Amino acid sequence: MLGYEFMQRAFWAGGLIGLIGPLLGVYLMLRRQVLMADTLSHVSLAGVALGSVLGWNPALSGFAVAIAGGLIIEQLRRSYRTYSELPVAIIMTSGLALAVVLMSLKQNLTKSFSSYLFGSIVAVSDTQLKLIAVVAAAGLLYFIILRRPLYSLTFDEETAAISGVRTGWLSFSFAVLTGMTVAAAMPVVGVLLVSALIVLPASIALRIASGFTAAIMISVSVGLTGVFSGLTASYYINTPPGGTIALILLVFLLIAIAVQKLIRLRSRSQYSSQANEEKGSHNIC
Amino acid sequence: MILSSIRDVVFGYGDEPVIDRLSLDLEAGQFIGITGPNGAAKTTLLKLMLGLLKPWSGTVTLNREITGGGKLTIGYVPQQVASFNAGFPSKVIELVRSGCYSGLGLFRRFTKEQEALVESSLRQVEMWEYRNRRIGELSGGQKQRICIARALAQQPQVLVLDEPVTGMDAASRTGFYELMRHYVSRHGRTVIMVTHGLEETSSYLDTVITLERKEQEGWTCLVTNSCNAHFGQEA
Repeated sequence: MLGYEFMQRAFWAGGLIGLIGPLLGVYLMLRRQVLMADTLSHVSLAGVALGSVLGWNPALSGFAVAIAGGLIIEQLRRSYRTYSELPVAIIMTSGLALAVVLMSLKQNLTKSFSSYLFGSIVAVSDTQLKLIAVVAAAGLLYFIILRRPLYSLTFDEETAAISGVRTGWLSFSFAVLTGMTVAAAMPVVGVLLVSALIVLPASIALRIASGFTAAIMISVSVGLTGVFSGLTASYYINTPPGGTIALILLVFLLIAIAVQKLIRLRSRSQYSSQANEEKGSHNIC
Repeated sequence: MILSSIRDVVFGYGDEPVIDRLSLDLEAGQFIGITGPNGAAKTTLLKLMLGLLKPWSGTVTLNREITGGGKLTIGYVPQQVASFNAGFPSKVIELVRSGCYSGLGLFRRFTKEQEALVESSLRQVEMWEYRNRRIGELSGGQKQRICIARALAQQPQVLVLDEPVTGMDAASRTGFYELMRHYVSRHGRTVIMVTHGLEETSSYLDTVITLERKEQEGWTCLVTNSCNAHFGQEA
């Protein structure tokens, strides 16, 4: 399988996105911005359509529009503090509407758009791979260097601001990174499934992690395992890579929920039998 | 020395002001209590002082000279930290260690002194035994205590607490007031605390600011047992 150059590129692209996406997902979930990934993927699609219509590089225009979308959402989030999900809904609808209208302006676009909608990781070009590598490197540096202020910001924005964290700058840069990651992940799993790669590993991690660092480690491990096993499975059983990766991550989530429930049931039944034994010994006395 | 000066401040959330032409000076090195009925704008006053809210008119200034030219550090314990409800995946010790982040910057490692400070902060609020617990598993009072420990680990010159004893039992509340009194008297720090239980705190406080609502005139404020304070047209 890895003898093919296109599969090598697919594993590189998937591995890099499987690293940065789930890491970003932990912060997005804790900041209650889960839908932001989904929204920005739709906005990015509008950027791709705009690039195609104007004769620009669609990948780069999608990238730029996703970043702009992230910044607009962050600005609107500050204006609508009470209804923080509102700007996400507004931008998602606007992005999708714009994409549909732009697509209708140019014939023969619909077919190439299916690769953006559902992903075509096995057809990742060198340019796309380079773009993914730059985004992954920038994202890793961002999360390593700013791990302390990001932790404070994610825990509570007000206390972070008072303790000296530049929350405005940090939130805007986080929105830019989210836009970049979503745009870079689009060739891997497609617009419709991009949030699965970002959100599902994080939702598993947040269920089982004992601490913050552990949550990040688990999320990244689950993401990488899901991407590599999904790519391998899709190669051998000939299924779409994006959908296969998302389904595998979903199975991981269901297993995590089931195992967690079993562990809880077991500890409860152990506690009950221990209590009954103690009660029995009191009665004998 | 004056820590914070509030001059003719007007602020509201809708069309009507909840604070109307408030002027007030807060002394550094004191244990200050802010009290008043529900909706008397106690938290709003705190947030205005901290710069989290911008007044419609008037000025709020913090005197940064009390640090002798250094950076003024403020520890803040809000009334409710929303992340607790969502099961923030953090151990108690991780959260309290984050109190030291502002002093450490981006790259400096924790020193032995800072580790000791984290431990003593947790011991002071009687939460050291819970250090490896996930914060989402704690009770309301315990959550409040680790937030206080986090603020103490920051070693702030000014500690701002919004109803910090919510969920604590009577013995813990007394221990907490004694700890704050010690923090002010022995270390020369300033503690500003919003409280409802004036009868049990008044013996520990240096200054009490009582906010009251005057229905006929909209929202105004009244200060008792405080120096250098006056309000609105009464000034």
